[in-house]
Amino acid sequence: MAQPLVKKDDDRDDEAEYSPFLGIEKGAVLQEARVFNDPQLDPRRCSQVITKLLYLLNQGETFTKIEATEVFFAVTKLFQSRDIGLRRMVYLMIKELSPSADEVIIVTSSLMKDMNSKTDMYRANAIRVLCRITDGTLLTQIERYLKQAIVDKNPVVASAALVSGIHLLQTNPEIVKRWSNEVQEAVQSRAALVQFHALALLHQIRQNDRLAVSKLVTSLTRGTVRSPLAQCLLIRYASQVIHESGNTQTGERPFYDYLESCLRHKAEMVIFEAARAITELSGVTSRELTPAITVLQLFLSSSKPVLRFAAVRTLNKVAMTHPMAVTNCNIDMESLISDQNRSIATLAITTLLKTGNESSVDRLMKQITNFMSDIADEFKIVVVEAIRSLCLKFPLKYRSLMNFLSNILREEGGFEYKKAIVDSIVLLIRDIPDAKESGLFHLCEFIEDCEFTYLSTQILHFLGNEGPKTSDPSKYIRYIYNRVILENATVRASAVSTLAKFGAMVDSLKPRIFVLLRRCLFDSDDEVRDRATLYLNMLAGDGIVGETGKDVKEFLFGSLNVPLGNLETSLKNYEPSEEPFDINSVPKDVKAQPLAEKKAPGKKPTGLGAAPTGPTSTVDAYEKLLSSIPEFAGFGKLFKSSAPVELTEAETEYAVNVVKHIYDGHVVFQYNCTNTVPEQLLENVSVVVDASEAEEFSEVVSKHLRSLPYDSPGHTFVAFEKPEGVAFGKFSNVLRFIVKEVDTSTGEAEEEGVEDEYQLEDLDVVAADYMLKVGVSNFKNAWDSMGDDCERVDEYGLGVRESLAEAVNAVINILGMQPCEGTEVVPSNSRSHTCLLSGVFIGNVKVLVRLSFGIDGPKQVAMKLAVRSEDPAVSDTIHEIVASG
Amino acid sequence: MLLAVLFSNSEGNILVERFHGVPAEERLHWRSFLVKLGADNLKGVKNEELLVASHKSVYIVYTVLGDVCIYVVGKDDYDELALAEVIFAITSAVKDVCGKPPTERLFLDKYGKICLCLDEIVWKGELENTDKDRIRRLIRLKPPTDV
Repeated sequence: MAQPLVKKDDDRDDEAEYSPFLGIEKGAVLQEARVFNDPQLDPRRCSQVITKLLYLLNQGETFTKIEATEVFFAVTKLFQSRDIGLRRMVYLMIKELSPSADEVIIVTSSLMKDMNSKTDMYRANAIRVLCRITDGTLLTQIERYLKQAIVDKNPVVASAALVSGIHLLQTNPEIVKRWSNEVQEAVQSRAALVQFHALALLHQIRQNDRLAVSKLVTSLTRGTVRSPLAQCLLIRYASQVIHESGNTQTGERPFYDYLESCLRHKAEMVIFEAARAITELSGVTSRELTPAITVLQLFLSSSKPVLRFAAVRTLNKVAMTHPMAVTNCNIDMESLISDQNRSIATLAITTLLKTGNESSVDRLMKQITNFMSDIADEFKIVVVEAIRSLCLKFPLKYRSLMNFLSNILREEGGFEYKKAIVDSIVLLIRDIPDAKESGLFHLCEFIEDCEFTYLSTQILHFLGNEGPKTSDPSKYIRYIYNRVILENATVRASAVSTLAKFGAMVDSLKPRIFVLLRRCLFDSDDEVRDRATLYLNMLAGDGIVGETGKDVKEFLFGSLNVPLGNLETSLKNYEPSEEPFDINSVPKDVKAQPLAEKKAPGKKPTGLGAAPTGPTSTVDAYEKLLSSIPEFAGFGKLFKSSAPVELTEAETEYAVNVVKHIYDGHVVFQYNCTNTVPEQLLENVSVVVDASEAEEFSEVVSKHLRSLPYDSPGHTFVAFEKPEGVAFGKFSNVLRFIVKEVDTSTGEAEEEGVEDEYQLEDLDVVAADYMLKVGVSNFKNAWDSMGDDCERVDEYGLGVRESLAEAVNAVINILGMQPCEGTEVVPSNSRSHTCLLSGVFIGNVKVLVRLSFGIDGPKQVAMKLAVRSEDPAVSDTIHEIVASG
Repeated sequence: MLLAVLFSNSEGNILVERFHGVPAEERLHWRSFLVKLGADNLKGVKNEELLVASHKSVYIVYTVLGDVCIYVVGKDDYDELALAEVIFAITSAVKDVCGKPPTERLFLDKYGKICLCLDEIVWKGELENTDKDRIRRLIRLKPPTDV
């Protein structure tokens, strides 16, 4: 019995010895703080008490106002002591307590005295404390000293003043801006840190003056910068100058040589900064990229995880825009898949997935399978998304990728992760027809053991739409009916709807579906029973909902034709009464699209992957929007909507982009306008289009926008009639509006407005606007089955090109077609390349293109273009487009 | 901005936490996030071996020194490379103060000195001093030797 007791005591002793702060308590420490008031100060003891106070504060303990004031006043007494260690503690303590404005006055005189002290370190610390606790009025009093301090001989004093300046610039910019002469002098300091801090402050003071920043960068890149930190800043400022100077594409890029020379700097951080700056240059060429990629590649095998992470993170970004440039690093990257640090491994994998070619997919998948089991969900989601884009890029590889997805679907995982996988499978089914049956089957397997109601219902809905169209719909019924037996009410209800869809679409299954639905009539849940009754009546044609099979299908598969958001609002506003709710009373106008769409060009869709999800949904949204406008109703079916084209530069007062909607005989320009000036309200907004350089187009409708308040985007439309088929032209645009001043405090606009105009960029309608990007999963089959009746073949000289890849991209962009089987990627150093494209031309004509490129020594590129389509005239048109492009 | 500097012991108890520009209601979240990150990854890691993670647009570099785990969190300019520089300054200053990679007890014994070091290294979310010799002199209010 005695032994455990002793042991317990031992434990406690150990612990007591363990922490000097054991049992520390705020009240007791505040009591102890009274030693600060002793006439005979004991510096050692005082330091200990301050340490305890700091410990409390660092643990998240807070002092009440009264406690803080008491401690603060006590601490000020310690200025009497000459003990240096204690003085340093006092400075820290005052900063931590950050006294209120009315208390500050107590210490200012002591601090001002220290600020003029002969002891350098008193000066430095006093400056830092004063700047921390000061306000504007006090600042003007001490400004003179601060200016002196910036150019002080002692670098610590100078740095203290400079760093204080950086902080004060936020609160008192007008005062700090007056110091620029002194700061300029400090930039030339021989002390490395002073130079660093001075450079940072000077740039902040002048950041809005492009010319000054450019001058600063020019002079410093020629001179000597001592600290690697300052060198990094300089690189950032230089790349900012490069960015703002606009890339003219002609001649040498300014400061590129400087960036390149930094790649050979001895400090790693400088090398990285330069490499990143180079990879982020807009329109960077592969020649400019190469040296940066080479140094990053070396870092991939560094022994330090931080450097490996930085390198792979940068390369990952490069891979989004220049996948070919990164392929040289693939071997080093593959070894990182087994890296202990999971962030590094995930980045390596996603990079490889972006840069890999078709032949390496299988090997890569094998490596990833081992890796997936031991990473967290958030990393897994990243990998799943990368695999989705890979599959869209190499549709022929869908089998192994789909298998991979179904395997990971069976493993443990949270909702977000499972949702990402299901979304990917759904997307692949939609885009790759061959993958449909196996994909649906995997989803069926999944719902057999799915713990997420949301996912089960989504899959059931999807299954109802796609399942009946497969070769053997009956095999899905078992999975669906199992839901009715095993799941919760929500899932059961959607399973009933899915069954009904099969019944409506597949006549041979109808009697058997009837049997199953009848069983659902005895379900314990109201909704399930209601649905079963409704569908039974409908399918039996009892005339309650619809008489004909068409009506039934319309009811089951059709949409409500109103935006769900609007429907929700209308339903909420509906008051129960004799009069039934009328769905026709729901407004069909879609609310203004959020700003996100406008911002899109900044973060372009990553690779091919992100693109296909966007267009399908946005095209639907566009179609709805346009069909809700009566003037456009007679234009027929919308053929294509382009991606938004920016007509203004970033950060102008009014941001406008345009979407080109192409119809058979018309084109509609949808101008998405955003007013970024809070003090303005724009009214009667329209775009005046001059089509004198587009002779075949004649304006038919222009729809104004009644008002455009701050930061809520709106659209105006201009429609043109054009000849059937293709027509090209250039359009110049002017935004016209009435501007009214807005009082931002009340939000009210003035009565009177002023008419004004704003010049926008020109807009072109080009060949690619008439081509839909539609891929085919097996190009050879499609090509062979199209036959050579409408084949047209010709050869073209493309002149001197920078590289084969550049020539291939140029032709793809001119045609606006979907590259197939990853053939848009040109292996580096290859002398010839074949690129396969597919698309649908206006008039719904399928087009396939086979491009064969060759490049010779002096970089002359020759191209053979073979077109097959369903219409010989279209094949000819494609040649005309290429010949004139 | 250097968002946070956090020290914990090996059981995940907080020894020092300093936040800059992080709203009070998010601090608890960050604290538990970091401690969990350490618990998951720091086992068996050598002294001062840097680990790195990113969470949305925020970077985290962390390491272990004796019995103490150290985390620094930054965003924007303070990416993983800058943070590596910060944490190097911190670890070398702590080692300098303690004379070796500290036990928890030693760390707490030198608590006041360590607070002063941090005060010299980080100034309201910005890196100020990096050199340990300079920091050692500065916390004793001695001018640096490299004047």
